[in-house]
Amino acid sequence: MMKVLLVEDNEMNRDMLSRRLARNGYEVVMAVDGQQAIAMAGSESPDIILMDMSLPVIDGWEATRRVKADPATKAIPVIALTAHAMAEDEKKARDAGCDDFDTKPVDIQRLIGKINALMDGK
Amino acid sequence: MKRQLSSKEEHAFLRATIDNMQQGVALYDADHKLVTWNERFVEYLEMPEEFLGTDRTFSDYIRYLGARGEFGDNIDIEKELAKRLAVLGTSHSFERTRPDGMVMEVRRDPVPGGGFIAIYADITERKKQELALRKAMEDAESANKVKSSFLANMSHELRTPLNAIIGYSELLAEDAQDRGDKAALGDLEKISAAGKHLLGLINEILDLSKIEAGKMEVYLERLDLPKTIGDVKTIVDPMIAKNGNRLIIECPPDIGTLNTDLTKLKQCLINLLSNAAKFTKQGTVLLRLSRHTSEDGRDLVRFDVGDSGMGMTPEQVGRLFQAFTQADSSTTRNFGGTGLGLTITKHFVTMLGGTIDVVSAPGKGTTFSIVLPDREGGEGKTSLADDLGLAPEGVASSITVLIVDDDPAVHDVLSATLGREGYVLLHARDGAEALSIMRKSPPDIVTLDVQMPKIDGWSVLGIMKSEPALEHIPVIMLTIVDDRNLGFSLGASEFMTKPIDRTRLTALLRKLAPAKEDSTVLIVDDDADVRELVANTVRGAGMTPAQAANGREALGWLSNHQPPALVLLDLMMPEVDGFAFLEKVREFDSMKDVPVVVLTAKDLTDEERAFLAERTLLVLSKSGQPIGTLGAALSALAHRHHAGAAKAGQ
Repeated sequence: MMKVLLVEDNEMNRDMLSRRLARNGYEVVMAVDGQQAIAMAGSESPDIILMDMSLPVIDGWEATRRVKADPATKAIPVIALTAHAMAEDEKKARDAGCDDFDTKPVDIQRLIGKINALMDGK
Repeated sequence: MKRQLSSKEEHAFLRATIDNMQQGVALYDADHKLVTWNERFVEYLEMPEEFLGTDRTFSDYIRYLGARGEFGDNIDIEKELAKRLAVLGTSHSFERTRPDGMVMEVRRDPVPGGGFIAIYADITERKKQELALRKAMEDAESANKVKSSFLANMSHELRTPLNAIIGYSELLAEDAQDRGDKAALGDLEKISAAGKHLLGLINEILDLSKIEAGKMEVYLERLDLPKTIGDVKTIVDPMIAKNGNRLIIECPPDIGTLNTDLTKLKQCLINLLSNAAKFTKQGTVLLRLSRHTSEDGRDLVRFDVGDSGMGMTPEQVGRLFQAFTQADSSTTRNFGGTGLGLTITKHFVTMLGGTIDVVSAPGKGTTFSIVLPDREGGEGKTSLADDLGLAPEGVASSITVLIVDDDPAVHDVLSATLGREGYVLLHARDGAEALSIMRKSPPDIVTLDVQMPKIDGWSVLGIMKSEPALEHIPVIMLTIVDDRNLGFSLGASEFMTKPIDRTRLTALLRKLAPAKEDSTVLIVDDDADVRELVANTVRGAGMTPAQAANGREALGWLSNHQPPALVLLDLMMPEVDGFAFLEKVREFDSMKDVPVVVLTAKDLTDEERAFLAERTLLVLSKSGQPIGTLGAALSALAHRHHAGAAKAGQ
């Protein structure tokens, strides 16, 4: 089973997305801030990370940069999830090292398409 | 024929004219003695009879006013007097506020044969109106800022609950499907569809308001077309399948790459493809890519999005790109959508330098075609060696110019023009990139955009001026100007912060002032200590300092002297401040080529920066018209730069 690390500080979003991912056959582990995300990227060895960008403690951009800077975790694909559907947000996320980008509210089929595309490419 | 007036008659007429003027008038003879005046003068300045009746001079008058507190408390009246006497030989004017609050404009003009006339006008009302007008403008500007941040915040606040509505209704719908509860499933799908529609509206209204506010930015990158089309396909596949349509993609595998904004291109294609899917049932939707060359030899990529749907009448086509209109008002009911997608698509295509066209007939389907140029130079590439190696032979071939701008169009225009002139061009899309290029390989000249995301032009300039390796690079600030300012390019190429670093000032003088021994540097500052300090440095650099305590004195000096080699200008000064000086100095033709270096306290407000951006540093339009000005400015700066370097090397 593919393991997804879902990084999201909003409880409702976390609950919703984790249930929908689980229903679609993913194993979901969760982090509530950027610091926890960095730690769990190492300890949980997820297949993919879904990263909210506006996070407490360490924000999603910085957390992505650190995950991508660590040789042990840099191969894990990161999909940025943000509520701001602005062009510059996508650019900013990609600059931080995110492999793909999607906006919230999440379209689950589209997100799964993106997850699959990234996993196929590996 | 005009009858010759007797001198007695002429005297009477002039007397009547003076007495009936709206302004106060006082006339002084060659010895500066007050010889005549009118009632307004007595009224405005509250002059007592006993003062006027006797043989008073201009100096007596100023001393009398000073003693009465007319110029405020704690002033050095002899200094005030000296300032006024210094400019009596020239026409000059200034404004001052009287102790009773009256704002007065004072104008003094020399009279042929000696003496001068002083005219006093009450401009209190005019000033009030100007203030009210300025306040109204400021209010309008701040209201606009509030609107922008309101939209951004509202978008975020609206999305959060929408997120829950869409997400949980979909969760429940999946549950209902598992249970086989068709009634609940239908209702839940309606909730989620309505939520998505609302979300689409919010996104598009936000996009449109950003476009209209001029805040939508373009990020150029070289993208792989087959991969981009693959991404688009993933997104539109579910929409295509919904009405039983088939998507045909014709993309030559060797179509290659395109330098454009990835997100905007994708959004345009998704908009067109989802429209096509929406208005076609059990048919085909076609996406075709092809390469072309424009008449002037530029590479173009064409995207055709065609469908076998219902098509449109010419009237419907005519209304297509207007906001909130669809083919007819029933369309929204039948097909959903916000009616903003095509408007936004058209705006995006225009921003990317392309065109969009549509061919349609009722019953024959519709084809939209987007043609985008393969833009050059916009990407923040750092192929320094390549650029240097490819430098064309030309007059300016030894001069490297770093263009720093977030607008790809500016890179395009400057590349075309300056490249032809033989300048070696480097490109940076933002401040951070510019600084990294400069540190690796310092260019001869930098053109710097004032408004950029993250680090703005002013900050880049500030950082450059704090690094020894970069501080000597001449900088041309580029900013958008209106027509009024278009022709105005006062070639100041520097600004300095206080406290003044004397080493840097000396270096600056060497760089900017021509290496002539009789060069004069005009120092305008109300602080005598600063003037003296700067004057010493100027003397030390082998030039002659001239001093003025404020903008008015400086203007007076300029009208009596040859233009100086350089003006060092303080901003905050009494009477006529640095900003007003910059406004007024435009009237001096001879000052056009004189560099002005602004000496300023560190913290400028945004408004002050904006003012300076328009007036002190070289002002150039991005519209491309005054490109000749830029070329001239560049060679002038390069000349100064090289002359300075040669001098420093002697």
